[in-house]
Amino acid sequence: MSIEGDQYLRETAKEGMRLDDRKPLERRAITLNTHVINHSDGSSSVEIGKTRVIAGVKVLPAEPFPDKPNDGALIVNFEASDLASGYPIDRILYSVEVGRVTDRGIRESQLIDTKKLCIEPGKKVLFVYVDVFTINNDGNLLDTANMAALAALLDAKYKPNENSEPVPVPLNKANIAISSTFVKIGDTIFMDPNRLEEDAADARLTVGVGDGINSLQKGGSGFFTLDEVMQCVDNAFIAKSDILKMLKV
Amino acid sequence: MYEQRFDGRKFDELRKIEAEVGVVPNAKGSARFRIGNTEAIAAVYGPDEVKPRHFEKMDRAVLMVKYDMMPFSVPDRAKPGIDRRDMEIAEVLMNALNRAIMVEEFPQMMININVYVTQADAGTRCASLTAASMACADAGLPMRDLVASVAGGKIGDSVVLDLTKEEEDFEGGATDVPMAFLPSKGEILLLQLDGKVSKEDLKKVIELGKEGAQKIYEIEREALKRRFSNESKS
Repeated sequence: MSIEGDQYLRETAKEGMRLDDRKPLERRAITLNTHVINHSDGSSSVEIGKTRVIAGVKVLPAEPFPDKPNDGALIVNFEASDLASGYPIDRILYSVEVGRVTDRGIRESQLIDTKKLCIEPGKKVLFVYVDVFTINNDGNLLDTANMAALAALLDAKYKPNENSEPVPVPLNKANIAISSTFVKIGDTIFMDPNRLEEDAADARLTVGVGDGINSLQKGGSGFFTLDEVMQCVDNAFIAKSDILKMLKV
Repeated sequence: MYEQRFDGRKFDELRKIEAEVGVVPNAKGSARFRIGNTEAIAAVYGPDEVKPRHFEKMDRAVLMVKYDMMPFSVPDRAKPGIDRRDMEIAEVLMNALNRAIMVEEFPQMMININVYVTQADAGTRCASLTAASMACADAGLPMRDLVASVAGGKIGDSVVLDLTKEEEDFEGGATDVPMAFLPSKGEILLLQLDGKVSKEDLKKVIELGKEGAQKIYEIEREALKRRFSNESKS
């Protein structure tokens, strides 16, 4: 955005005002659809405001890793596709971070019991691939990607053997961690930033909460105080119950 | 012998089509094109400064075309990233779009056209090209005409339009002919063939493709009209 635009956003931020008339801690509308891709074992499309990602799950047989012969694996792969950026270099800046945070948030919450993905110890296990693709980036890809990956996993069904009935992926639903992102512009905290707010922000904080706090990621060159961090965490817990309802958990 | 199509269509019948523009609101232009179970999304950025600079052309714009399949678009998992097939398809799409877009209007500029296949059931390059051309029109680029692309071919002894994956893999042998046209000018912008057909059959296939492309062309125009009539309301 232009320097003038940035300045304007910073001025209105002082009053807690946003360009799209939201309150500082108000999220944009979320649209969730599942079953959007025929060839996947589970899929979802999530829109937060104008930001949209799609996620697809594939459950494929594979050889186990030598150090974990009885464990399957969960692999979350995020692509900030070229649909959402004019120059490839634009997406390199954020795709690595978003990808790693999404992957970590889901794997480290021990959502999947990888032991249950073992078919034949030492020989054959199942790998669960979650591929998340950006269709449009209007800010807050982190939360959108997190929700899409979870929705696709919840939607996923696979056949353990050729002739058996499809079963859901073994998820520990109690461990689901929901991510909420906040930015700080000047001294004001805003939830669910759009792209303009992200660009103007001094600092960003992403909080993943399940039962407790599962992940934190601070971005940007600004700072947060302890009180501000706790304010974000409290709001992340409130957002979590709303989003779990949408995911029908 | 192939007398009855697997999905019950007539030999010259297209699959169900959905076309929509503006699906990537933050891009300059975008489109989604779905034919049966094949779907492509395209986004266009530019005209803009050329990066890297050595691609620059003094007399016209450079088109940068990217084609990729999403990992979950096929029955197995397509590895993320560009392989040789993706590069070849990007090249043939670029050649077709170079003719359709008036690139000479933008010397020393670059236009980025990115196409992703979300679901594949044969005819992905045709769906991608159609989506890309709609996205270019949505971006307001000056064009000679929209590109309409469809595959034709021969299955057993029958000349057919718009093959599915199941038909491409027909045991009695199938020949796939992806085509693209500038419908109002009758120009052929893309033509590939895999398999074996006689001279007479090739002519039939191309004529059938031309008719199919005409129908796709109407649907493309409808989608664009819808978009711009919606915009004037809001």
